[in-house]
Amino acid sequence: MTDIKHNAFLFDASRCIDCRACMVACSVENKIAMDKTRIWVAGVGIKGTYPDLQRGTMVYHCMHCEHPDCMSACPVGAYTKREDGPVTYNPDLCIGCRYCMNACPFGVPHFDYDKGLIDGAFIDKCTMCPQRIDNGQEPACVQTCPTDSLEFGEREELLKIAHARIAAHPDRYVNHVYGEFENGGTSYLILSHIPFSELGLPNLPEAPVNEVSEKVMELTIPFALGWGAVLTGVAAGVHMYNKKQEAKVVSEEKAEAGK
Amino acid sequence: MKQTISRRDFIKLGAASASAVVFGQMLSPRVAQAARDAGHVDANGDGYIPGMCEMCVWRCGLIAKVKDGRVVKLDGNPEHPHSRGNLCPRGQSGLMNTYDPDRVLSPLVRAGKRGEGLFRKASWDEALDIVAKNMLKIKAKYGAEAMVFSATHNLSQPLFENLLYAFGSPNYGTQRSLCFNAMIVSNLMTYGMEEPARIYDDKLNYILLTGRNLLEAISTSETHDLIMAIDRGAKVVYLDPRYTKTAAKATEWLPIKPGMDLAFHLALLHVIIGEKLYHEAFVTKNTVGFDELKKEVDRYTPQWAAPLTGIPAESISRIAHEFAAAAPHALAHNGWRTSNFINSFHTQRAIGILNALVGNWDVTITEAGGEESGTLGKPDQPPYPRVSALRLDGVPWKYPVVPFKIGVFQEMRDNIVKGDPYQAHGWFIARQNPIMSIPDRAKTLQAFGKMDFIVTMDILLNDTAWFSDVILPEASYLERYDPLVPIGNKIFLRQPMIEPQGEGKSALWIYKHLGERLGLGDYFQYTDEEDYLRQQLAPTGISLEELKAKGFVEVAESAHVGEGSEPIWNTPSGKIELYSDTLAKVGFSGIPTWVEPPQPASDQFYLLTGKVAQSTQTATQNNQLLHKYSDEPRLWMNAQTAAKLGFMTNDWVEVTSEVGKVHIRLLATEAIRPDCVYMTPGYGHLSKGLKTAFGIGASDSAVHVTYTDPISGGQALSQTFVTVKKA
Repeated sequence: MTDIKHNAFLFDASRCIDCRACMVACSVENKIAMDKTRIWVAGVGIKGTYPDLQRGTMVYHCMHCEHPDCMSACPVGAYTKREDGPVTYNPDLCIGCRYCMNACPFGVPHFDYDKGLIDGAFIDKCTMCPQRIDNGQEPACVQTCPTDSLEFGEREELLKIAHARIAAHPDRYVNHVYGEFENGGTSYLILSHIPFSELGLPNLPEAPVNEVSEKVMELTIPFALGWGAVLTGVAAGVHMYNKKQEAKVVSEEKAEAGK
Repeated sequence: MKQTISRRDFIKLGAASASAVVFGQMLSPRVAQAARDAGHVDANGDGYIPGMCEMCVWRCGLIAKVKDGRVVKLDGNPEHPHSRGNLCPRGQSGLMNTYDPDRVLSPLVRAGKRGEGLFRKASWDEALDIVAKNMLKIKAKYGAEAMVFSATHNLSQPLFENLLYAFGSPNYGTQRSLCFNAMIVSNLMTYGMEEPARIYDDKLNYILLTGRNLLEAISTSETHDLIMAIDRGAKVVYLDPRYTKTAAKATEWLPIKPGMDLAFHLALLHVIIGEKLYHEAFVTKNTVGFDELKKEVDRYTPQWAAPLTGIPAESISRIAHEFAAAAPHALAHNGWRTSNFINSFHTQRAIGILNALVGNWDVTITEAGGEESGTLGKPDQPPYPRVSALRLDGVPWKYPVVPFKIGVFQEMRDNIVKGDPYQAHGWFIARQNPIMSIPDRAKTLQAFGKMDFIVTMDILLNDTAWFSDVILPEASYLERYDPLVPIGNKIFLRQPMIEPQGEGKSALWIYKHLGERLGLGDYFQYTDEEDYLRQQLAPTGISLEELKAKGFVEVAESAHVGEGSEPIWNTPSGKIELYSDTLAKVGFSGIPTWVEPPQPASDQFYLLTGKVAQSTQTATQNNQLLHKYSDEPRLWMNAQTAAKLGFMTNDWVEVTSEVGKVHIRLLATEAIRPDCVYMTPGYGHLSKGLKTAFGIGASDSAVHVTYTDPISGGQALSQTFVTVKKA
């Protein structure tokens, strides 16, 4: 580990009032086009029958995984997991293959169908506002949140805060911090008063999906070389066998001819 | 990263705000030099400049990021007590008001018929000459009272008042009677102050919200306070016919029948007095009229209130006990406008009295620090001329307890139409949109028809400007200075961060230059905006340069009345008035009393309106960023009721009241009482000069019927009943 702080978000769904200040702040800060967004509101909305109702909303953007599947899937290395937390994306390298979109278990990267090959920047997603955090500011969404539903800080500290909140109000919260372990851990941690599935979050194993895929993928070259060797061996064997057979046929023919 | 952003920015900027770029200007030498002198920006003109928000009336402090002469981002100012570093979605979107492609960039003079939308550009000299000439003509022919002035409360209000009072007109229109007259007048009668401040400390553990949708009608710091109180575990009881976002966070949501909040609160008083749950020592020492109150509320049992409100008697009784037990760390919040009826004045009085009975003064409510500060100076001016004409809005001759600065706007409109007690002929409107805000829009347009001359000051071609003769373009709140306002012990500054788009000018400039043309120059004795501010700052010894650099300065706080001594209330008795002799003397009930509200017929619905977090009144629907993140304004109807009537979500329906009808799409939802429908107010614009907002939603003012509370003059906004059929 380096001494760089490992940043993360903490989102508390019990505090979110769905005001969308975060969405506007992100759009302005990152100059997102009027028909695009990097944050969206997920969740059940209103559930139940009048007058027994419940409401749940969630600020949904990139989870900034510890083991980003987008990064594993990207064939050109356009993604980077920065040591201080953010998963960033370099549009100059992107070839628009959309493997990252299929790989991300949270469905975060989205494709810009308006852009052609020349324009580049096919994929868009939350970057954790590196231009702000490198400047000592909080990400735009966090800075503006009027109810402190979104907080920003060191992941370890936020985890402590999250667990302390659950301990203080066990009747309010689901007894789990989403993102602490999911998919090998994320840098977007979530507390909720309703089941996480109702916030639109997938039920994921603790082992990151790409742990398996990467192990398999790591075998590509040895496998390619090994299989090549095997095939070469087989080919050589076949060749030699054929030669032998040929020699045999020839000698038999000779023998036959000699008869 | 930097590289990728620059390229993407360039592309997205083009897509997002091409028009804004066209209208944008490089930082002018004057503003750039001022910003450099104040240390806000570097040699390139890039940096951070403090200012103040104006997307609603809460006025958060903000810090603008400025780059290449454009405001590129707004953040809340952590030093400001109203923002504490945060901004709501409207505050975040504020820069799109400034860069709205529909901004009025020069003075406009009407070139076609009213409402046709044909205008020609004019210079400031020509436009102000036309305005002054018409105002003086009306004054000479019909008297100064024939000019009506109206404005929505803002920082330049003292200069607006100078213009109207120096001109000699009594006709002062504000928007307040369309919002919270009942609350303000009742607090004046009970506590002798417009609105006590609320204290959200760590001990606050019980909050009763009567239609106060604080999590959607956002006041940044108070919304934050409420969420933190809920987070700590405070109990929140919330009355509202709708399951709002506040209802979702409340401990207990009571979907009360509209208009019946008064019955609920009278029953609370009945339990608290009848079962002796009140703070006897506080009541004896600090209130008058307890015996009269006790006698009156004796008949308002929870059993009486239950069938009216739809809330079980046991719940009402339990809440009274809980509230009293939690006191003094309990707060009954003054309602707002979710359920405004002609009986709302009594409801507000009952809420104020509930707080008094449990003795929570200086614990959860206290005296609010006023905006008028004795520490600031102002330019000299002569006294106003004497005005003897009656006010058109019936204050005080019809509404004796309504303050002059509050007024009864809808009554003014009605009397303009009637020409009673005299005919008005001209209307000066400052950043206000009466066509969209006063109920019964058709009637407001009729009132406009009575006018010889209408002038509107705004940054956009709002609906009222669309029907005006002259439009004076104001600079936006990121482009101008405004008079200073103290908040507690701090004085904050609104200062220009960029040059105005087009030829926009500050209100300080416009009022002065118009005043001079009207021969009223003595009331505007300042050379320019900075001179006005220097004269304000003179008694404090603080320089304008220091204020500009920091964005705010700290001064000695004026002494809190009653602090360290006995509390004193500015009422005739000097005490909290449970019984008000003032009210009794002018023929109203001195104590809150039951007034039965009208109820809809079996085929009708209550028409409710109420705020959303992404818009402010009628003024922000054209903001492209807010538009981007707003829900489509649809007519909410209870899902089961809709199913019974054969309506589906997104069906077009026709909503009809006795004054008008509108077409709107339906939203079938569980989140509303079966006997109500709800509309987001402020949509359904008439002005085609609002290209983003035009054609979106329907206008509540087109169907709202005018009903005025006879005591407070407040518009009973929830008393309109409508029928709904397929369009």
